[in-house]
Amino acid sequence: MKRLFTRISRVPILTLLVIIVATVVFAIAAVGGFRIETDLDEYMPNDHPAFVYARQAEQRFNIADGVLVALYHPDGIYRPETLAKIDALGRALGELEGVEADDTMSLATADNISADDWGLTVEPFIDGIPSSTEELLRLEDAVRSNPMIHGRIVSEDGTATLIIARPTEEGFTDSVYEDIRALVAEYEGPEEIHVAGRPIVEGALAVLGPADMARMGPIVLVMIAVVLLLVLRSIRNMILSMLIVAFSVIWTFGLMAMLGVPVYAVSTMIPVMLVAIGVAYSIHIFNSATVYLEEHPTATARHLADNAIATITRPVVMAAVTTVVGFLSLLTSVVLPVRYFGLFTAFGVFSAMILSLAIIPSSFVLFGVKAPRTSGMKDRLGQADAGLPRFAERIVNVLARRWKPVVAIAVVLVAVGAFAIPSVWIDTSFLSNFTPESDIARTDRFVNEHFAGTSTLNIVLESGRADTFKNPALLSTMARLQDEIETDADVGDSFALTDFIKRMHQVMHEEDPVYYAVPDSRELVAQYLLLYEMSADPDSLEQVVDYEYTSANITVQVKDDSSQTLSRIIAVSDAYRDELAEFGVSMQYAGSGYRALVFSELILDGQIKSLALSLVIVVVLLAIMFRSIVIGLIGATPILITAVVNFGIMGVLGIPLSISTALISSIAVGIGIDYAIHMIERYKEYMAERGDRHEAAVLTMHHSGRAIMYNALVVASGFAVLLFSVFPPNRQVGGLVALNMAVSLLGTVTVLFLLLYRGNRFGQHKQASTLTNNEEEETYA
Amino acid sequence: MHRITRFLTVTLLVAAVAGLGFAQAGPTGLEVMTNVFERPQPDDMDGALTMTLENARGDRRVRSVRQYVARFDGVEKKLLFFTAPADVRDTAFMNWTYDDRSTPDDQWIYLPALRRVRRISAEKKNDSFMGSDFTYEDLGERHPAIDTHRVTGTETMDGRTVYVVESVLEGGTSAYGRTVSWVADGIWIGLRREFYDRSGNLLKSLEIEEYREIDGFWTINQMTMTNAASGHSTTMELAGLRFNTGIEESTFTERTMTRGIR
Repeated sequence: MKRLFTRISRVPILTLLVIIVATVVFAIAAVGGFRIETDLDEYMPNDHPAFVYARQAEQRFNIADGVLVALYHPDGIYRPETLAKIDALGRALGELEGVEADDTMSLATADNISADDWGLTVEPFIDGIPSSTEELLRLEDAVRSNPMIHGRIVSEDGTATLIIARPTEEGFTDSVYEDIRALVAEYEGPEEIHVAGRPIVEGALAVLGPADMARMGPIVLVMIAVVLLLVLRSIRNMILSMLIVAFSVIWTFGLMAMLGVPVYAVSTMIPVMLVAIGVAYSIHIFNSATVYLEEHPTATARHLADNAIATITRPVVMAAVTTVVGFLSLLTSVVLPVRYFGLFTAFGVFSAMILSLAIIPSSFVLFGVKAPRTSGMKDRLGQADAGLPRFAERIVNVLARRWKPVVAIAVVLVAVGAFAIPSVWIDTSFLSNFTPESDIARTDRFVNEHFAGTSTLNIVLESGRADTFKNPALLSTMARLQDEIETDADVGDSFALTDFIKRMHQVMHEEDPVYYAVPDSRELVAQYLLLYEMSADPDSLEQVVDYEYTSANITVQVKDDSSQTLSRIIAVSDAYRDELAEFGVSMQYAGSGYRALVFSELILDGQIKSLALSLVIVVVLLAIMFRSIVIGLIGATPILITAVVNFGIMGVLGIPLSISTALISSIAVGIGIDYAIHMIERYKEYMAERGDRHEAAVLTMHHSGRAIMYNALVVASGFAVLLFSVFPPNRQVGGLVALNMAVSLLGTVTVLFLLLYRGNRFGQHKQASTLTNNEEEETYA
Repeated sequence: MHRITRFLTVTLLVAAVAGLGFAQAGPTGLEVMTNVFERPQPDDMDGALTMTLENARGDRRVRSVRQYVARFDGVEKKLLFFTAPADVRDTAFMNWTYDDRSTPDDQWIYLPALRRVRRISAEKKNDSFMGSDFTYEDLGERHPAIDTHRVTGTETMDGRTVYVVESVLEGGTSAYGRTVSWVADGIWIGLRREFYDRSGNLLKSLEIEEYREIDGFWTINQMTMTNAASGHSTTMELAGLRFNTGIEESTFTERTMTRGIR
């Protein structure tokens, strides 16, 4: 490896040329083959049993998230103009591309099952817009007396009504979202119109997230560039570092395009990883060069290039290889985009390593070397030959003397973190991505206040036998399950076959509310259903029961899409499993909210397994590299500390685990390894060179410690900028990346360092490590 | 509901004799449709009807009824008794359709489990007939003079000469904009029909799968209507048909609904 990179630096122009050509090729591929995956379903592990089942059920019952358009008029909706608007807007929505043409549901399309003077009626509520006061009053009465509509399509106070439109199967895109908003704006006034529902929230997310990143991303890069400039003290080196990261990102996305892999939302985390890790490689190489120049102020450029390569290639390559393997452990994930994330981040990290080792030494040869400008800081660091760098020595002395409180603080932090991990909650809520004062959140609140809820959970009941769901005992159990679920404050309503039967029963008994119940005769149930089927379109019951009455769907309307709420409802529902089993009926769940919940659990599970696997791999690789199992274990400590603190802080601060926040813990592996290897390698080298662990420690702290600190400083300050984002998910990413960098840094320079130092690793005389504490303290007192 | 009667007597049943013999140029569209329309009809009929509803996934609902239909002065009366599935057996349905179109149909349902006859509301012509893919309009008569008809060609089906007639339906009077009918020469029976909306999209298609001559009437024994968009289909099979047995008007009462016939 060293020889390879030395040879490369001998032909700097050719090297740079080759790299530039490769980058152009990758860039062309990336631009040409760039494809963003907008269909969220493509993210799901669709061969997972829970997903397979949910998908089938969703098809069978035509379950899809609706776009909810709410019209509000303070004087009530029973006005001819408002009713006409409901009808017109409903039709206009159906004509939009991306919206099912014949599947728009509103007061203008809804059927009313009712009883009048002479019998039973199933007919539309509105047949021609009513205009007379009498007709309007009659409509109002009809709505009030039909519990299938009252509170569901029309708010209980009569001031608001819903139009529910269904996106086509091709999926809901950003443009449909924009179209709906534009259309609704035309109809606004005097009625207020609110648009809600999961497709809208997803649409807004797809528009706002990238928009925010496009706004914040450049600021992050500028911040990183500025801090890089401060620590590298060279515009050229700063530019080179930035280019290396940029090139590695281009290579990665170019390769993805070449292989026909689309860009997933998770893929936006790849540049985050590459910036954090890629910058580290440059900093280490430049830092090595700086240290070498401090020691040999008259070194030539070639000399410097050779030397930089000689001292830094091994740790950089080791760090990169270990990081690559760490990311490759994500290939065990069942979630396809996460597998791609692992694979391509690994490629990107490897590219960044190659690019750093090829470009930087070549740049020395090509552009010459500028001796690092002296600074106050460097003065404090002192000169190598005259003595030990003072600043580094002070740190080492403090750590050595105060190792007990340092270790105690670390232990407490880890303990608290570990304690808080169980309170980390998974959230797949789309709404939590918006601040409460945002348009999306306000409109969602409006709809939830007036109607049953903007989110849905589907409980799917299944038996293998036809006509099972005509059994009154089973239907009563379903009704009880619905009643119990509806006691939850976040559940607005539930809707199932039972509601149709209850309504028929009531209507056939002169609207007597006592009969809003499931009758206990199987024949009567069957005859009501026959009557209903005969009165309506062939597919009218398809959302609640399958064609042969072998399975049924209970739609639960929920006012909150958080995973906690869904889990709570599922727990209530699960309690009915045994009772349903007596009817030979099994229970499953479906709907996008449920799938998202399963998905997030898989991601969390995968991430924890992958982290554990990475840790094992890191320990093994380090043990092989340094021929010591103990070193392997020591090397894993910063990763462990970072990961635990990361999840612990998420638990304490209530940051929910989402796809992006889960993947951030991968930084713990990528950066943790990097820091550990550099510290261990340098310490080992200095121990071999100096033979004195104090000197070795100070020099290691001066050399690697500084590079690590610079890296953490650069990346953390860059990502901290995201804390000022208006988009909460981006805030979380920024904050957590900065946190992980800081904890990795502290974990490495304190705990890992002390383990090396106090354990007297790589010492000539192992006995030294058996010194008692007292003796140690005397030495440094 | 009157449309089912007319459908069975007009569309399903075709007078054996209709051939007036046209010139070699062939009949005009209006002449073909008039021949279909103007056929002698039996005064009453009864028989078994099995309706098989099938959705796009191939799931089925099968319903069998025994039906009685008769014409009286200015009114057509029809009585249906469900025979299967078992849990709806003896459920009865009665419909009176008046020749005076301004008078809405009268309809009753008897649910044996409720032991009660209830009036139910009149259906609209573009509503589904008994939850099937047939609407009342599909099953009803339509005077050929209302619309514009054109023979677009002749084909051979089942060894018979068939006229392909394109009918543009008078606006506002139908759910459809255009139909194309394949009418068998001589027996004047429609063997296939396609229904289009006003934008020209195919909505549904009807296939006659079995037809034969019974008691001098050409009878359709099996036909299937398929919804082009949803893939949902309804097959109607008729068996044991009897014509002109002299069904009495007193048969069509609420009492018969609750008690059954015979």
